[in-house]
Amino acid sequence: MEFPAALFPSYFGAGPPQEEGSPALVAGWGEHGQILEGGPGRRQVKPAFVPRRGATGERWEAADAAAVPVLLPRAGCWIPTLAPQDILYRRGLCRKFRADNSGATLDFARQSQSLPPTPVETSPEEHHPDDGPGGGHRPLGGPTVSVPMSPDLQRFRGAPALSPHLMLSMPCSGCPRQHLASRLRWFSHLCRDWLFEVPLGLLADCLHEELMQQWSNLLFDDSLTAGALAWLPPEDGGTPVGCLVHPGGQAMNHLYFQDLVLEELPRTRGSPAQFELSGRIRQVAAARVDGQDFVGVRSDYHCGVWRVLGKRGAAPTPLQVICTDVPASCLTVSPHLPGELSVCTQSGTVYLWSVETGLQQLRHDPQTMFFRDHSPWRWSDFTAHPRVLSCADRTGLQCLDARAPRRCHFDLFKVGEEAGCQQGERVVLPMYLGRAHPSQYLVTTQFSVYVLDERLPLVPVLKWAHMMKAPPLFAHLMPGKPGRSHKVLLGASRTQELLLLQYRGGSQSACQLAGTPQKLHSISGCLQHLPTQLPHRHHLLQQRLTAPAAGLAATLQEDGPHKSMLIFQLSEAGDVFCQRLTHKAAQPPAPPSRDEATTAPGSSPLFEAPASSPQGLGSEEEEEEEQTFYLSNLEVIINDDDEEDMGTPAPLEEAELLREECANPQPSPAVSSPAVALRYRRWLRAISRTCKEPPQHTWPPSLSQRRLFTRRDLEGPAGPSSLQRQMRQRLCQTMEEGGLIQHWVPLALQPLHLPQTLEPAGGLDPLSARLTAAWAGDLEQWWEERTSFSVAQRQQALRERRRRQKRAQGRRSLSASFTSSLTYQSELSELSDTGPSLLSPGRPPLLSQDGSPPAGSPPVHSPVTSAAPDEALLSSQSLRCRGIPKERRKTLQDYLPVWTEGPPEPPEPLGSQASQLCIPSSQSQLSSASQPRRKRPRMGF
Amino acid sequence: MDSFLEEEDEEAPTVVVAGKRRRRRRSPAAQAALQPSLHLPFLPPQPVSSNEHKLNFKESKEACLSFIQDALLQKQWKRAAEFLTCYVESLEKDYSREHIGPSEMIWRVGTEILWHHSQSSMKEFNCFMEQMKTLGVKRYLKVCLEHVFHLLCDGQIDEAYQNLSLAESWRFGEQTAIQDKEMKLVQAYRGLLDYYNWSKQKNILLENGEDGFSDLAVEQEMHGYFRKAAVNLKEIIKIPGVWDIFVKCYVDLLEFYGDHNEARQVLNEYAYNSKFPANPNAHVYLYQFLKRQREPKKSLISALKILHDIVPSHELMIDFNTMLQKSKKRKKRRLGLEVIFAALDYAGWKENAKAWSCLARQVKRIVISEKHLDWIKQEWSSRKDWWPAFHFSRYLAKRNWQENKSLSYEKALVAGILLGKGCKYFKYVSRQGCKAQLKRFRMLKKFVNRHNPVYLRISGPPDCSVQP
Repeated sequence: MEFPAALFPSYFGAGPPQEEGSPALVAGWGEHGQILEGGPGRRQVKPAFVPRRGATGERWEAADAAAVPVLLPRAGCWIPTLAPQDILYRRGLCRKFRADNSGATLDFARQSQSLPPTPVETSPEEHHPDDGPGGGHRPLGGPTVSVPMSPDLQRFRGAPALSPHLMLSMPCSGCPRQHLASRLRWFSHLCRDWLFEVPLGLLADCLHEELMQQWSNLLFDDSLTAGALAWLPPEDGGTPVGCLVHPGGQAMNHLYFQDLVLEELPRTRGSPAQFELSGRIRQVAAARVDGQDFVGVRSDYHCGVWRVLGKRGAAPTPLQVICTDVPASCLTVSPHLPGELSVCTQSGTVYLWSVETGLQQLRHDPQTMFFRDHSPWRWSDFTAHPRVLSCADRTGLQCLDARAPRRCHFDLFKVGEEAGCQQGERVVLPMYLGRAHPSQYLVTTQFSVYVLDERLPLVPVLKWAHMMKAPPLFAHLMPGKPGRSHKVLLGASRTQELLLLQYRGGSQSACQLAGTPQKLHSISGCLQHLPTQLPHRHHLLQQRLTAPAAGLAATLQEDGPHKSMLIFQLSEAGDVFCQRLTHKAAQPPAPPSRDEATTAPGSSPLFEAPASSPQGLGSEEEEEEEQTFYLSNLEVIINDDDEEDMGTPAPLEEAELLREECANPQPSPAVSSPAVALRYRRWLRAISRTCKEPPQHTWPPSLSQRRLFTRRDLEGPAGPSSLQRQMRQRLCQTMEEGGLIQHWVPLALQPLHLPQTLEPAGGLDPLSARLTAAWAGDLEQWWEERTSFSVAQRQQALRERRRRQKRAQGRRSLSASFTSSLTYQSELSELSDTGPSLLSPGRPPLLSQDGSPPAGSPPVHSPVTSAAPDEALLSSQSLRCRGIPKERRKTLQDYLPVWTEGPPEPPEPLGSQASQLCIPSSQSQLSSASQPRRKRPRMGF
Repeated sequence: MDSFLEEEDEEAPTVVVAGKRRRRRRSPAAQAALQPSLHLPFLPPQPVSSNEHKLNFKESKEACLSFIQDALLQKQWKRAAEFLTCYVESLEKDYSREHIGPSEMIWRVGTEILWHHSQSSMKEFNCFMEQMKTLGVKRYLKVCLEHVFHLLCDGQIDEAYQNLSLAESWRFGEQTAIQDKEMKLVQAYRGLLDYYNWSKQKNILLENGEDGFSDLAVEQEMHGYFRKAAVNLKEIIKIPGVWDIFVKCYVDLLEFYGDHNEARQVLNEYAYNSKFPANPNAHVYLYQFLKRQREPKKSLISALKILHDIVPSHELMIDFNTMLQKSKKRKKRRLGLEVIFAALDYAGWKENAKAWSCLARQVKRIVISEKHLDWIKQEWSSRKDWWPAFHFSRYLAKRNWQENKSLSYEKALVAGILLGKGCKYFKYVSRQGCKAQLKRFRMLKKFVNRHNPVYLRISGPPDCSVQP
């Protein structure tokens, strides 16, 4: 562990940041920063100097014109994430909000409230437009909020002022239905779980709270920090088969371990190992220790750890699950010791989690470290010392020794003058760069990216303004061999930006940035390379492809002289796209390999599925057509690019020259290989198959009973149709004869659940009931009963039914746990050889509320069929098996107890939580009083 | 330009009064305040329909800048250059009070393009920089510094020196704090270049001196350089910061002229002043100076002790350990054991054969003498729950054996003593060693077997008394 003999010169100040903070588009260019003596060839006569930034780096070029889908989309249509228009829809407001894109930073309103008052502070009234630029500034954080605003803007100063009536108020102009449709869609999406039960006052509160949370998530969703995509690289010297760990499913609550063969385009091998979890997967972290991969998975209230043996093909073993009272904000896996992780919760608690020894609380502090910041986000990671963990909040990083966390700690990074930060700058993502250098650390903020050396705390050894439009929430390190540069990928969520940085040094020489940063393809970039679509399909695709990014992973591949980099990007829609960069020194992909790709696309399992589909010859023809069309489309795209260039006054000849220039050619590889084209086509087809539903907002909202219940759903309880037929037959017969039916009943059996004539809830409306009675000659009696059947009585009955349901609901939500699918449980007994397993081995496979295998998975037959038909119909899993969407399941369960006694409640699975380590709730309760209450996620239990 | 002006007026017809308009310009801060969280563009810009092609000046400026940014990020230097020529127009109406104004943007982007553009030459670059220096008074020193950096990296030391001298003599009204800092840096770099000139003259003199011929003029010139360098370097290292090269050069100068007290004072200040960052190099320089001065062991040890306290994983810890092991004092040998254990805690030392052999030697000595087993016991007690998995796993045994046999030997010795002969690491390595018929490993096995009881005493409970 050498330390550089000399570091780049820099000033060291203390205290709050001095520099005014604002994101600047070009702040990172054109600066060497500092220089230092000591180049590669150290001449005696003339000293050689190296710059901190601007040294030459490796040259990587994109192999394809756009990112390529890796996996076919799985069944289940994706629900688009909330857009600002869904909450705010008034055009004027939207525009105003859009206008301040260039404005700075974190929650000023609350932030400045929490700041200590300073002499230079000015109140809103005092602030005068002619104040100097330094007049209204606070020493910490950003500029004050004390600026005159128009009243309506004042009202919308961030989340706290949002009111629910916004969403419900009427649109100003245009077709009211058009606006209504998408908002209704969202309304039902957000509220379907609790709207039925809550009284109006409570409902308003809930709505407000939900909107606030959604709004703050819209602005910046830090629950995604570090991303939910992990790549488990192949073993050294083994076959080039790695494993991609990613979430999927409609609620992103399925965890997949998919083996990928690394070829020119990575292709899947076999079907993925799949686990169903009881919450949206926020983060997937992985580290390799002693040849085994440990994969940590974080959802809001649960964290789990899996072990994957280095040998590919071995099934991943779940090791342990913990549940937390407060949402967890961080989960990192130790690169030093097997089965060690660190967990942070939003209550400000940091735990060291060892699979063998359990949880150890290292720190509990609801306050931020260096100055006050309202954000409950906390992070923790490992350092060069396996017993020393770093913990971070928005204000900086501290390292603490797990053996004596109270006594031994030091500050690693502070948002302040020490690191030359700007006002309002906040830590977004810290990451341990141990694989590049054991003592290096990466910290990203919304403005800059820092490399720190824990041997020289507080002073960044590297700093660069990254100029990204959204804060970099994801980062990935690809360590370089000695003498080569380390590559760092930065990724943003909402804008899908991807930036490749290179740096070198840290041990013998001081750290320096190498080469210029490089922008990589984003997922949405491939939209223009897809074949032309019908407008509404195009819109759907656009919506899906521009979904915020949710994860980032990458791998370096060295195949003799060929060096390439594969970068995977996950979107919130669950799509995984990849792109390949090739090293410039490496030869371009040899033509034979391309031929292989064209001749044997069918060898890939990716392509096998559609080929085996019973479409016959016709489909093949169609395929060919599509392909040719696609290729011609690509050419068009090149023209498109040129057209964009024509926005410049550059004459066309110059543009030609520009292309011919060989010294610095930047041709984007426009014509991609047929294999890529094929990928797109397969993916498109799969998308259109999974999302058959046309976009809902193009239709006026309508409620149709036909879609609420399918005929098959109603078949069960609708009573024996033979009886009805018999009745009808008899009726016809009697009418023909001109006779009279005196009694309906004389037939053999009268089913109990046949709608009673006088039962108001029996499904007959009053008119038909009356007609029926009149037909039977009992009109008088009917009238009497109608009037005497007191309303109070009916209400009593309704109320009772409601209470019963509520109780049932409450009991059901108790079973919140990390239940996984039956597939995995049955495997568990075979696979978990050692250690504490999630479930006690003696217990038979238990089907809990959410424990049924998903409809699309390979079926493992569950013993549920023994239940009574009505029960089977009502239990949520059977409803799901019938393909009834969740929001309708609830309706159905409310409706159907008319016939039965109410939804059957499966007994609470006691054993499922037996092995779970619950974080002592006493502290969390204490802290939760001071924390803003967070709601449980709506999806899944 | 006129058309742009008109367009802007069209765009904001409601804002007519000059005062109001000004307020409107100031509003970025106000707008910033609307965003309660991190800055991000949460509303995608609406697609511009074809009849909205008339952009106002500000918008077209921004669009142009984003094109430039896009081109730069894709390394399309020529394309960026073309856009930049258009962007220069933005200087015409530079009323912005933004953090980075158009003139700074042009400087930054232009510099970046000229670094990478295939057809750019140093002459053009110099020309561009001269223009940029006149573009903004506030930025003059910064641009000068960057220009000098580029010249220095290009090897044009004389031009750089001239530029620095020019920048040093620049005066403009009252200096801001940042300008003051930049001026200090300009002076420091000039001092650095003076130092290089000085050392060049010194080398000439030394060479000539060997021939028995000395040149008075060269010597005088050298002293002149010394004076100039010393004055400037002395100034900057008083200010808190990381000044490794400046300190090194200054100390070299002082040492040459025999001013050891001043040198010592400078180094002490650099290492121990609490206003300075905890720079390990400061301590290393002090240690090296003390070593050059042939100071007694005691002061060397105390210098390294402080380095050990701030950076236990520093590479000098091996020297420190060997120094301490040689000491006759028990306390120091004890410290040596602590130092080497602490160093091996770090992931970067995991496969450092030298460190492991230091530890193995000391542990072996203690075990043979059977004295001070409690030292090992104390060190081990805080590590026994994680060192086995961290250092002595079976996986590591295999890998170390394959990659570095001597490392695995040293580690196996330590593992055998600390964890007993049943330890996985020791068992694997000794078996492999015996299989390979290496005498060393057979001896190792014997040694560990003989001293196995030590393991019980080390790992036993703390109340079990180990002889002092």
